[in-house]
Amino acid sequence: MNTNNNIAEEVKSTFESIDHIQDIKTSPFFKDKTMRKLFDAEVEEDKIVFSWFTPKLQLASLVCVIALNIFAFIQLKSTTYDSNVSNFAENYSLSANSETSILN
Amino acid sequence: MLEEKFINELGQGTRKAYSQLIDDYEQKVFATCISFVPNKEDAEDIAQEVFVEVFKSIKKFKARSKLSTWIYRITTNKCLEFIRKKNAKKRFAYMQSIFGNEIPFDKTNYFTEFNHPGVLLENKEKSATIFKAINQLPESQKVVFTLHKVDGKSYNEISEITEKSMSSIESLMFRAKKNLQQQLEYYYKNEV
Repeated sequence: MNTNNNIAEEVKSTFESIDHIQDIKTSPFFKDKTMRKLFDAEVEEDKIVFSWFTPKLQLASLVCVIALNIFAFIQLKSTTYDSNVSNFAENYSLSANSETSILN
Repeated sequence: MLEEKFINELGQGTRKAYSQLIDDYEQKVFATCISFVPNKEDAEDIAQEVFVEVFKSIKKFKARSKLSTWIYRITTNKCLEFIRKKNAKKRFAYMQSIFGNEIPFDKTNYFTEFNHPGVLLENKEKSATIFKAINQLPESQKVVFTLHKVDGKSYNEISEITEKSMSSIESLMFRAKKNLQQQLEYYYKNEV
């Protein structure tokens, strides 16, 4: 019974502990920090348009562009266009050096 | 009429209006935050988030309620969101520790470190106990009990903030007190 009384007493004083909580103030720079957060956030809103283009994506895109350029350059170097054209010209006797004339 | 003008100024996003808003509401918002989250740093962070939310959403504010009621509603929601996230993190860390992953696990069962400068030293243990008990309550009871008993708001104000009838508030308050009573009795019975 005594224990039950003690428990009831403890519960009561625990409930009462809330009533003794004192008011506290925010830290002195709260307003400055909040104002900065509000108006810096506004500037960030403008930047948000390209926010998906993260540095990782930027690097990946750069690597792709460089690889594409190297591939195109190699292709250009090894192109067989000129030799194909001269072969064609020779086959159909259109080449300047193989030009023959019955007058010669 | 004055409030309407002030809301318009807030909508235009002028520094002057927000400076005024923070002057008027910083202590009130912070008091509500620290009532839900008894940790000064966390409560200040949440209070800041409240003002950021006001800044972002003021254009959506339809003035169906008072500005103060709307701000307290945002505050309450932000606090509950914070508590939910922290509780989820605790549960995740607990699960990780069970499955043997070596994530340092904070063994306390409360969502934050109890650090309320307004609590007197001799009451610290008891206050921490009741805050832990409040955290075990269902959300609707937690909101009503905290706003009334810890933050000191009237039933009428709580009714406006939560958009519930007065009778619901009274009923939630009654159930919250009963549940807390049971929890504390169980706690003190098993304490020794």
